Amino acid sequence: MIQILQQLVTSVSVGGLYALLAVGYALIYSVFDFTKLAFGGIMMVSAFAGYFATKLGVPTAAAMLVASAAGVLISVAVELLAYRPMRKRNANRLFLMISAMGVNIFITNLFLCLFGANLRALPTGFSSNTIALGPLRIGVVDLLSLIVSVVALVLLTFFLYRTRAGVTVRASALDMSTAGLMGIDVNRVSLIVFAISGITAAIAGMFFGMKYNVYPAMGSISNKAFIASVIGGLGSLKGAVIGGFLLGILEIMVTAYISATYRDLVSFAVMMIVLIFLPNGLFGMGDQNKL
Amino acid sequence: MSKMLEISGLSSYYGGICALNDVSLYINEGEITSIIGSNGAGKSTLMRTVAGDKKIDSGTVLFNGSPLPESVDRVVSGGISLVPEGRRIFSSLTVRENLILGTCSRRDYKQAMADTLDEVLELFPKLRERYHQPGGTLSGGEQQMLAIGRALMARPKLLCLDEPSLGLAPIIIDEVFDKIIQLNEERGLTVLLVEQNAFLALDVAHRAYVLNTGRITLEGTGTELAENPNVQAEYLGVKTGE
Repeated sequence: MIQILQQLVTSVSVGGLYALLAVGYALIYSVFDFTKLAFGGIMMVSAFAGYFATKLGVPTAAAMLVASAAGVLISVAVELLAYRPMRKRNANRLFLMISAMGVNIFITNLFLCLFGANLRALPTGFSSNTIALGPLRIGVVDLLSLIVSVVALVLLTFFLYRTRAGVTVRASALDMSTAGLMGIDVNRVSLIVFAISGITAAIAGMFFGMKYNVYPAMGSISNKAFIASVIGGLGSLKGAVIGGFLLGILEIMVTAYISATYRDLVSFAVMMIVLIFLPNGLFGMGDQNKL
Repeated sequence: MSKMLEISGLSSYYGGICALNDVSLYINEGEITSIIGSNGAGKSTLMRTVAGDKKIDSGTVLFNGSPLPESVDRVVSGGISLVPEGRRIFSSLTVRENLILGTCSRRDYKQAMADTLDEVLELFPKLRERYHQPGGTLSGGEQQMLAIGRALMARPKLLCLDEPSLGLAPIIIDEVFDKIIQLNEERGLTVLLVEQNAFLALDVAHRAYVLNTGRITLEGTGTELAENPNVQAEYLGVKTGE
């Protein structure tokens, strides 16, 4: 029993990170009808920025800000340099996705060339500390990542539902051309959305870096978040969060009670099965239920 | 009387297909101007062009004497608001949020949410009752009121209405048109109205045009056109002779 609880605690914290990344996918998909597969690359670059900041003696919390700034910069840069010119020419959404894949591979290989493939541990000083909660032992990093993810998700929800700019984002997600007719500057909305997704990718990247390591190929973790957002229903914020937590729990349980070898096998199988019975995912209801 | 909007020699294409062919017309300030025509005559294209949502391929559109800005958001902030065909309410957003979106073009949006909001809710009391409901739960008539209210939140100088009667019950149509007349008479709002329901459109119009396969074929006052035998035969369903 204690062991299950222990695993549950770990899995919830991983789930929180998946949820953060999945929310980034959901946001972009809901507004632009395409998913940004360059998310992994952005996450990795942000983690590197955080890593170098930490190496220079910047405290972890400040390094998180550095990583977030890097995430925003690169996410917005990719939007401005790669996606926006294509959208302007009315490119097919499929080609946008292919361009995004290209961006991802490019960034990953660029970092591979610059820094090599070796694993770098993010030196936080508390990475291996645990807190005892009765018989449970909770990793400080796990706990922090859960708290930060939840706070970030709450802030994002507040932004989308309680602020003027948030309303413009939701309106653009529902119907971009009518949003334009209202005088909403759609390009500004795109910057907001890409900046937010850059921040969520950066937070996730930093925590994955603390839990595991920082390395150029670490972006592949974002594939899991993509599965989470598909299971939850692409474009649905609620779906992304729930899908993220579900996938986190599923993976840790499979690792703990079956074998780590089967982890990805199970995740992808679950995604396929969910899609067979619920083609829009758990909470996706087509265009009516975006965000 | 000054001309608020003046279109000359406007042509518009979709791919190679000509939707508007050398269209010239003007709208006087403070008047309701109607454009009637059958399906596919180019009415919506004309509307989208005026609202800045469709690029001008050739010809000129002058709004208060200066050329129409190139981007939609600058057309809206310049004072032209479109109530699109089919209303296009943001269905999962509340009435309040839909109205907020109408103020996106305004710099003084805090003022807008204080003053203009009250004006709009006074004009459409139903919206006050439904203030926190999702737009999609409103009836067709209420949605049309919301679409008009949303456009008014931008405090436009020229209000463009694309097929406001579409899909509404006759009694609701009368209500919508009463509001349009009220806006024009009490607030001096200039209105451009595009309608398939020619009878209504000519009835409320100071001036009107007939658009036929991309060309303006007739113009005159609302009454003149309503009494024109060709218009009666083609658009008003009046049988001429035996």
